[in-house]
Formats: sequence, structure tokens, C-alpha cells
Amino acid sequence: MKAVSKRVVVLLSLLAVVVSTALAVSLVARLEAPASIRDLGKYYIANTRRDTSSPEAVTAIVWDYRGLDTIYETLVLYMAIMGGLAISTIARKVALKTRVGLTSITRTGTRIITLLIATIAFSIALHGHLTPGGGFPGGSALAITAMLIIPVYTLQSLLDYGVTSTRLVATRGLALTGLGLVAILPVIRGLEAVTNLRFYPSHVAGMLISGSLWFYNFFEFLAVASGFAAVALYLSIPEELYREEIERG
Amino acid sequence: MSEVIATLILLTVALLLSVVFVYYTITEKDLLKAAVFSAGQSICYAILLHAMAAPDIAMTYLAVSVGLYSALLVFVISKTERYEA
Amino acid sequence: MEGFVYALFIVVLVVNALMGIYGIVFRRSLVKKLISLTILSDTVFVAIILVGFVFKHPVVPPVYSGVEGEEKFLLEHASDPLPQALVLTGIVIGLAVNALIAFGIIQIYRLTGTTDAKKAIRVLVEEVMEE
Repeated sequence: MKAVSKRVVVLLSLLAVVVSTALAVSLVARLEAPASIRDLGKYYIANTRRDTSSPEAVTAIVWDYRGLDTIYETLVLYMAIMGGLAISTIARKVALKTRVGLTSITRTGTRIITLLIATIAFSIALHGHLTPGGGFPGGSALAITAMLIIPVYTLQSLLDYGVTSTRLVATRGLALTGLGLVAILPVIRGLEAVTNLRFYPSHVAGMLISGSLWFYNFFEFLAVASGFAAVALYLSIPEELYREEIERG
Repeated sequence: MSEVIATLILLTVALLLSVVFVYYTITEKDLLKAAVFSAGQSICYAILLHAMAAPDIAMTYLAVSVGLYSALLVFVISKTERYEA
Repeated sequence: MEGFVYALFIVVLVVNALMGIYGIVFRRSLVKKLISLTILSDTVFVAIILVGFVFKHPVVPPVYSGVEGEEKFLLEHASDPLPQALVLTGIVIGLAVNALIAFGIIQIYRLTGTTDAKKAIRVLVEEVMEE
């Protein structure tokens, strides 16, 4: 009991110090909150509909005004996941022993929740140029379903469905190829590499797709989802296989 | 006027709660409990991000920090030791 | 009132960052170091978005919704979209690097049998010295 109350005492004194410092700073230094955003932000908000035909300023900055930064960031993501998968490969293929998943109540609940999460993930990813969202949150949400399915149904059932790690890595490679193609295609007509409205149409069949932004969001969604699902698969291979591998040298 | 005060109270409560969660995360010996406290701190930061009118970031931050980091930490803890020191 | 909340914001973010740095330097378990690293980077992201926040009453995200005459309203009352775009990139890169660190921690545990930083380094150095 003494250790618990010592932590609580330290915590309460920390909170008191924080609040009193804030009071002192706000009274003595006359801190004033800023009243308007910077001029560069105002330029982006004022011109985003005309330059990129997308009413969402953040997606327009991420994929159009500063699109090259995002392409490089996708490359960094790819390298990091490749490094992680390279550490945890096993030389020979073994069949996993059959294990038992969780109870049927958990399974039914997981089935419903996984369906909901998958629907929401697709919606977030494909509406990225109209509302807040985009490729990254959608891909992460879909990867969460993989991390949910593996403990509840076992890993073997996921592999039986055909979702092996090789296929996930192949999907990731194809999605990244698509991303690179969308970025490089304008070079055919002599424009620079990551251009949006001068090459791609802004409306297709009456619907607003904002040029290449929709395609970028879709390919990024596939790449992120399959990359992190592969990470989840490799993380849940049981430890005995690795111990045998290390003992054999 | 009451809306302004409600937003300011929300910000204050979320900030102080995040200090509590960070303190408990750093000083906890059981790593599984530390992972849960870290998820609580992420929820407080997501409330802050929503109150600062950044919905894109709040959505990404929730999916990544509460979803993926917690699952990743539970996987790592189950393969290594559970208690620190 | 708003001055107090702004000062509290800055003080709380500084305290969280300092606690995160304390966790990285002075805690011995590798997993605790990883958790403290995520706390530090999240605090820095929130501090960046605080730069683009205006303390007025109706603050809205920088998204058009098709209403007439919205541009003037958004120029006055919207939050800054540029720090949000930078933080989005930062979150994704942080996630990838933390996943790589997690794989590294598991591999160190397999090779040395411990996740204590000092003991693991000692075991690895002894193995190298033996060769």
C-alpha cells in the first residue's frame, strides 16, 4: 500500500505544479493566443478549389501541392516494413499445429465488428478528396481487422482463406507500382512528374474525383492495408519455430 | 458564451488527464498495464486534436495509436517478458 | 481565460515531453523505451498542430462544404491546413519505424534471452569477444 500512495502523492503534486505554473505564466507574461493563421495557410485555403478541384485543403496539400514528399514517405514506409519482414523469415515451411480459437460468442461478435470496420475503412479511403480522411486512415483501419481476426480465429484459418503473406506482399508491390504509374504518367506528355489537373480529368461521369487524388488515395489504401496485415501475420507465427531455427544455427 | 466555456473546460480536462496517463505509463512495472495506459493517453490526445479542428489528424491518430500500437505492443509483450526489471 | 488555457497547453506539453525523455533515458526495459518514444513523438505532433490553431469561437476544419460565400468565412475561422499535412506524414513514418523497432526487440530477446538493455548489450558484446 505504501508504494501505491507514494505514486498518487507524486502525481497530485505534479498536477498542482502544472496548474500553478500555467496560472503564473498567464498572469505574469500576458500570453496572448494568436488571432489568425499564417499567410501560407490562407493561400492554400483560398486557392485549393481552383488549383486542384478538391474542396479539402489537407488532402490537396498532401497529394498535390507537396505530392513528392508523400511519394518519398511511402517509400520510407515500404523500406521499414521490408526490413521488419526480413528479420522474421523462416527457412523451411512448416505446417502450424492446429490451435483452438476463442469461444463462439467472441467469434460472432468479431464477425460483425470486422464487417463494420471494413466498410468504414473503404469509405474513409475513397472519400479522401471530399471529406477528411484519405488513404492512410483507411489502410490502418483495414489492417486493424487483420490484427483482430488472428487471435480470435486462429492464424491457420486466415491462411486457409488464401490470405498468405506472399500474396499480401505481392498486393503491396502492385499497389506501389500503381502509385508510381499515376505519378509518372504525365511525363509522357512532357509535363513534370507529379502533376494533377493539367493531365488528369477533374470530373468523371459527373462525379468529382479531383484528378489523380482519388487514384492516389486508392493505391495508398491498398499498400498500407496489405503492408500492415503482412506485419501482423509475421508477428503471430509461434515462437517455437524461431527457437528451432536459432538452435540449428 | 456557454459554448466557449464548454470547449475550454473540455481542453483543460483532456490536458490534465493526459498528464495522469503519461505519469502512470512511465512508472508502471507491469508492461501490459503500461500499454493500456498508453492507449488512454492516446485517447486524450485525440480529444485535444478534435477540439483543435483537425479531423484528418484525429482520424489517423486514433486508428494508428489506439488500434495499431496497442495490438503491436501486446504482440511484442507476449513474445518477450511481461514484467520490467 | 483563453490565456490560461493556452499557457496550460504549453506547460502540459512540455511536461509530457520531459516525462517521455525520462522514460527513454532512465528506464531499463526495451519495451518501456519504445512506449516512451511513442509518447514523445505524439506530444511533438500535438505541439505542431497547436501552432496552426486560432483561439476564436467557431473554429472549423479547412474543408469547403458547398455553401455560398464560404471562402471569406473559412479565411477567418479555419485552422491551418499546412501543419496538419506535415503531421500526417510524420505519423505514418513514425508508425513504420516503431514497427521495425518492435521486430528488433523481439529478435534481441531471441538472441540474448532478456529485454533489459544493459544485460542484452553485455551478452552480445561477450559473444563478439569470444570469436
